[in-house]
Amino acid sequence: MNGSRWTMIVLIAVVTLFLVSWAIKSFPSSGDTISWPSIRHAFFVTLAAFVTLAIFSFLYKDNPYYKFAEHLFVGVSAAYWMCVGFWSTFVGNLIPRISPGLSKFFGVPYKEFTFYYFVPLILGILLLMRLSSKAGWLSRWALAFIVGTTAGLNLIRYLRSDFISQVSNTFVPLLVQWKGTGAFFSDFSLASGGQFTLMLTNWVIFIGTFCGLIYFFFSKEHKGVFGAASRVGIWVLMITFGASFGYTVMGRVSLLVGRLTFLFDDWLGLMN
Amino acid sequence: MKRQFLLLLLLCFAVAAPLATAQTAEDSPLSGEAAVAVSPAPGPVSNIQLKDTDNDHGHSVTLSWEISPDDGAGLNNVIGYEIHRALSPEGPFVKRAGVPAGSHSHVDVGSKEESSPDYMKDYIDYYYKIRTITADSAVNAESTVAGPIQSYGQWFNTGRVPVLIFVACFLALTLYFINRAKGGADLYVRPLAGIGAVDEAIGRATEMGKPILYVLGLGTAADIATIASYTILGRVAKKVAEYQTGLIVPCYDPIVMTVAQETVKASYADAGRPDSYKEDMVYFVTQSQFAYVAAVNGTMLRDLPATNIYMGKFYAESLILAETGALAGSIQIAGTDEIAQIPFFVVACDYTLIGEELYAASAYLGREPLLLGSLKAQDYAKAGVILIALVGFILLNFGVDGFKEFFFVSN
Amino acid sequence: MKRQLPLFLVLIFGLFGIVQYFIPHEKSEWMYEFLLDWIYIIGIFALALGIWSLMRVSWDKIKHKRQNWQYSIVTLTGLFAMIFFGFNYFRDFFNSAGLQNYMFRAFFDHIMIPIQATMFSLLAFFIASAAYRAFRARSLLATLLLISALIIMLRFNPYLGFIGDYMERTALWLLNVPNLAAKRAIIIGVGLGMVATSLKVILGIERAYLGKD
Repeated sequence: MNGSRWTMIVLIAVVTLFLVSWAIKSFPSSGDTISWPSIRHAFFVTLAAFVTLAIFSFLYKDNPYYKFAEHLFVGVSAAYWMCVGFWSTFVGNLIPRISPGLSKFFGVPYKEFTFYYFVPLILGILLLMRLSSKAGWLSRWALAFIVGTTAGLNLIRYLRSDFISQVSNTFVPLLVQWKGTGAFFSDFSLASGGQFTLMLTNWVIFIGTFCGLIYFFFSKEHKGVFGAASRVGIWVLMITFGASFGYTVMGRVSLLVGRLTFLFDDWLGLMN
Repeated sequence: MKRQFLLLLLLCFAVAAPLATAQTAEDSPLSGEAAVAVSPAPGPVSNIQLKDTDNDHGHSVTLSWEISPDDGAGLNNVIGYEIHRALSPEGPFVKRAGVPAGSHSHVDVGSKEESSPDYMKDYIDYYYKIRTITADSAVNAESTVAGPIQSYGQWFNTGRVPVLIFVACFLALTLYFINRAKGGADLYVRPLAGIGAVDEAIGRATEMGKPILYVLGLGTAADIATIASYTILGRVAKKVAEYQTGLIVPCYDPIVMTVAQETVKASYADAGRPDSYKEDMVYFVTQSQFAYVAAVNGTMLRDLPATNIYMGKFYAESLILAETGALAGSIQIAGTDEIAQIPFFVVACDYTLIGEELYAASAYLGREPLLLGSLKAQDYAKAGVILIALVGFILLNFGVDGFKEFFFVSN
Repeated sequence: MKRQLPLFLVLIFGLFGIVQYFIPHEKSEWMYEFLLDWIYIIGIFALALGIWSLMRVSWDKIKHKRQNWQYSIVTLTGLFAMIFFGFNYFRDFFNSAGLQNYMFRAFFDHIMIPIQATMFSLLAFFIASAAYRAFRARSLLATLLLISALIIMLRFNPYLGFIGDYMERTALWLLNVPNLAAKRAIIIGVGLGMVATSLKVILGIERAYLGKD
């Protein structure tokens, strides 16, 4: 049997399955008569199951059903965010501050005229100038505004939230609860709350951070002691990446279980 | 049997309830009298100090006081303090807050919105008094009226000095090394495997006659990782233009797309091939995370790019992208500062730029002295951080805590 | 003019972004809030450019009958249908009730959500194939990664007996101690990289994104 015939058979099977599922799902469970809303709902539940299976089919290989679901998803989601953005930001935030007439047209309460909101309006229009080959360069003003502002704001945000606190947290006592060498050995224990463990933890954190930073040195050759420290640094990084990888595995499996629950329960109604 | 037991139980309740009520009724006047009799009013708070709250946008006053002599001592009947505010010493005073016994201070924060009922106007006189309260609402003591005080906003936040010092030092270092680099000083940079691979990968793509896929990630124009990614894209695009290889840049964020178009166009012009640039090389897909991934996956399997480069911000999709690319047999180079995603790239890609390496990449690829100069500044800053950490922890181990406190940044 | 003014704007707004952090005064806060609003609003115009780009690429594919051009029709159909419902053309011309429109919501609930969740769940398979890739590790670094991943994955395995107990403790230690050190090193490095990149952009040293001429 050649490829195109197979394709046709699969297509017919898929369409049939879709129609059967739609028909079965259209019957309300309580035995009432079929209504327009139940038919409509049945169509969408079947469609959801169809696109779910279409996406899963990607695991076998790229195929027309995946392509269909992918392209549909792209179109629908792009428009979705555009509609949400238009109504919430453009109409919700800009219009009520620049025009009573437009506010009325869009049915949003007019707030007050705020001159400063003309700035993004103008910059936005300049951005649209990209579509013109002659005035395209004007769009750079808007880009410059966005890039400049965000560069400045984010530089500070990161420094404030992460960087400085990480630097100061590196200052840890290496001799935790130190009462002398004698006491250290006489009270020695491997318990997680014990003095030895606490000290070991602080030492590993300090040396790990130190070597990790050395690994990130770009302008010095990684040779000798420096090279050794840098190697320890990358080992610590790799061990951490492994741990993080292992940690995520179980979480991902639960996502799959969620999707299978949809197929077997919401669509096929096999679970109860 | 069960029913009889229940009936008995109900009967017990019926008898006990009025008795209990009678008991409380008898108790309460007694305790009331006792309170009046044995609980005289506590001493008021004294020495109320008012000042405008430091390092804020205004609309706030900080109060401090000496606690009542009966708070934790003396009659020991103080349960807390109420802060009252008025616009004149005569009142009317309005309760602003209550604080528990033992408190020495309070920050009275009002709203900055004029429309809010809690609005607190700056640059007008406020008067405060503090009421010392006891368990009995009738027994309390009022302080003398303190004031006037005005609230106002500051023009400099002294709590953020460490950040300012850091930014200033770093800026000075950067400018110094850039100047040195301009002056012709030879600045060494160690080789980075991931960067060397970019050149190799472009060469390979040219030989195979297949395009290069450049993914800028899910970052918006507001992410600095994305800005770093543009700069890398610029260098990659220039080489791609020189080699006359294809370039595919699907974008998640429309502003990122616009900037990326501008970047690639400039790179083609730089390479002397402005005509080879096509607007469709850099295109928008959608702002939905997984729809974007689905589309990029499709591109990987249908256009079979020789090399996939992922640079920027990535989230859960990193593994889907990198695995699909690996299965499609492309050479893959990734770089992100998103710590949770680095492991997936490390596993599924041929080369991964970890964290800071992403930010260094553009300097490596461009090899311009100005950019290399800033790389040197980064290294010196790192050395500075290591030094500060060493000093900090030596001082801490000798029992000096002040150094650590200096690094505390107020929010 | 074509390049100087944008560079000047980057400098001014970049510096303001930094300076506003040190100025608690209301005026600075007010400006900061305005800037954030402005960026969102400009983003909407950019989104229009994005949609235009998507339509153009799809239309070109259809027009020139490029490979898989049929699917571009699906993209455009989805796009226009969603815009049609989102703006509520169907009932009332052009109003925000579009976001509550039955079809708009149905497309969201029965196309976007299931596909999104399914794509996300594909991660379970991809992580398995990635783990397999890691298992074939040949280098020292990859082996380190593999071992630590294995320890974490097997930490709750009841079949390992007393070894399992040690594994659980080691796993906990790995997650708390070296993990913290490595993250700290990365965060400090990234912080410096970010500051350097931002400064280069603000000072106009890095200007590739502004195009040429």
